[in-house]
Amino acid sequence: MIRLENISYHYHDNIPALTGIDLEIKEGERFAIIGANGTGKTTLLQIINGLIFPSNGKFFFQGKEVMRQTMKDKGFVRFFRERVGYVFQDSDVQLFCPTVLDELLYGPLQLEIGGKEAMDRAFETMKMLNIEHLKERPTYMLSGGEKKKVAIGSVLTMNPEVLLFDEPTNGLDPKTECFLVELMIALNEAGKTLVISTHDLSLVDELQATVGVLSEQHRLEKTGSAADILSDENLLLRVNLIHEHIHRHGDRTHKHIHSHYLFHRHDS
Amino acid sequence: MLRERIPTFLLNRPRSDPPQFEKGRWSTPFLERGIDRLAAMIKTGYSQWHFSTMKGFFQGIDARVKILFLIFFVILVSLKKEIGSEILIGLTIFFLMLLSRLEVLQLYKRIFSFALIFGSLVALPSALNLFREGEVLFTLLSLSTPYEFWIYSIPERIGVTREGLYGVGMMTLRIINSLSITFLVLYTTPFPQIIKALKVFKLPDAALIVITLSYKYLFLFAGTVEDMHLAKKSRLIREIPRREGRGWIAGRIVLIFRKTRSRAEEVFKAMLCRGFSDSIRISETSKMRQRDWVTGAALFLAGCLLLWI
Repeated sequence: MIRLENISYHYHDNIPALTGIDLEIKEGERFAIIGANGTGKTTLLQIINGLIFPSNGKFFFQGKEVMRQTMKDKGFVRFFRERVGYVFQDSDVQLFCPTVLDELLYGPLQLEIGGKEAMDRAFETMKMLNIEHLKERPTYMLSGGEKKKVAIGSVLTMNPEVLLFDEPTNGLDPKTECFLVELMIALNEAGKTLVISTHDLSLVDELQATVGVLSEQHRLEKTGSAADILSDENLLLRVNLIHEHIHRHGDRTHKHIHSHYLFHRHDS
Repeated sequence: MLRERIPTFLLNRPRSDPPQFEKGRWSTPFLERGIDRLAAMIKTGYSQWHFSTMKGFFQGIDARVKILFLIFFVILVSLKKEIGSEILIGLTIFFLMLLSRLEVLQLYKRIFSFALIFGSLVALPSALNLFREGEVLFTLLSLSTPYEFWIYSIPERIGVTREGLYGVGMMTLRIINSLSITFLVLYTTPFPQIIKALKVFKLPDAALIVITLSYKYLFLFAGTVEDMHLAKKSRLIREIPRREGRGWIAGRIVLIFRKTRSRAEEVFKAMLCRGFSDSIRISETSKMRQRDWVTGAALFLAGCLLLWI
């Protein structure tokens, strides 16, 4: 469904963000792009959403090349945007309509979906996300978790086949985080292809996604199943997703590999 | 269970057919062009930082020497009255740019476009004998008789004069030289060093902090605007009417204003918790090295020589 061939991207012509990325994401797959800060996760998602274009390499969606020229074609833009939705890390930049309801109606109206059907989509989505009571509220009057739900809802009402989530659980309270994980799994089971970028290893474990690991050299270091990647301590150490940690228990000093995920264990 | 609450419309496939490439193209809207300009601003800031941290002749000089050089040479450019001297100054600056490993082609492209607009085009009417008497080189219009109108006198032959052309040339060269000197200093000095160097002129620290914060905020602002634009783009399927575009911009301005205000409050709180009371103190700049004194003296002598020629 999504194919990247030798993708490279440079910011300001000379800061590398991605180098020689080859990647394939299948229909209905859960795919997690993981990496430390600044490895190019967001850049990769923005390329997959046709928002920016690679300096080198090719990106194909359903066999059709997505590039600057094709994204100026009205027919292709409709075809592509209808199928690929993007949930930004910062919900504030994504929400631009006066109220929550307007926000959810924006997508269907863009797709020229009639008033009643658009309204039904908005209300069904609000019901699923438990935000019906917020429908008349301006988006700047929402909490962080509520904003995230509205941002997701605003993309869902367009019914895309592929959902791109940029650092979806960042800054959320545990309850909202749990809800979001459950939602992503439910959407995937409903047939949606999920692509998330994150450095949260527990999220990768919960989603049991196929994982692509980006290194600090902006290369795709390894691709594999969640179990395969999460058990490769050397790899996770090399890409700075876990680190060695020294601390004391009473009068004993321990040195062990540490992350906020699974590896809080002592060798001696 | 959430799985049972998934709306039925989410289980359907999209409505649109595979793309038909002949349906027409999107023109680049003014909104996108504006955002591109903002992105270019970030790029300019980045290039300034990139060149100023490279190893080169001017990069190695103390910022205070460079600021004094800038002022001295800009005054020098304004004092000279011969085209030959201006060309000589221009060549000196060009040579200094080469020594500092700047991208001279890119820089001169910008310098010449500024000079063309603010030098040649603005000053061009003054080349006519309508404003200044002189030897007419070529005639543009011949009248049957000269006219006197209020304080103006319109000659029989209206044309471009030698003196007028010389004036336009001087004006353009002065702008080119002043901009080259400014770009040379700006592109070889990191912004924080420029700010500290301004202390030489006894500018209050508070003013310097305000300039620093504003400069930093410009980049944050440009980044936020670019993100907002991308977020909108990711949900756009058709061209939006201009009115809708203007509405979106108005809404975003309000949001940015709110964010700016809350950011200002947070920065102030961060300053408070790090000991800010009512006065600001910036760390002193390092002492001038012997090399800086020597280079400063050499540049001063070069300036005096150009003044004398």
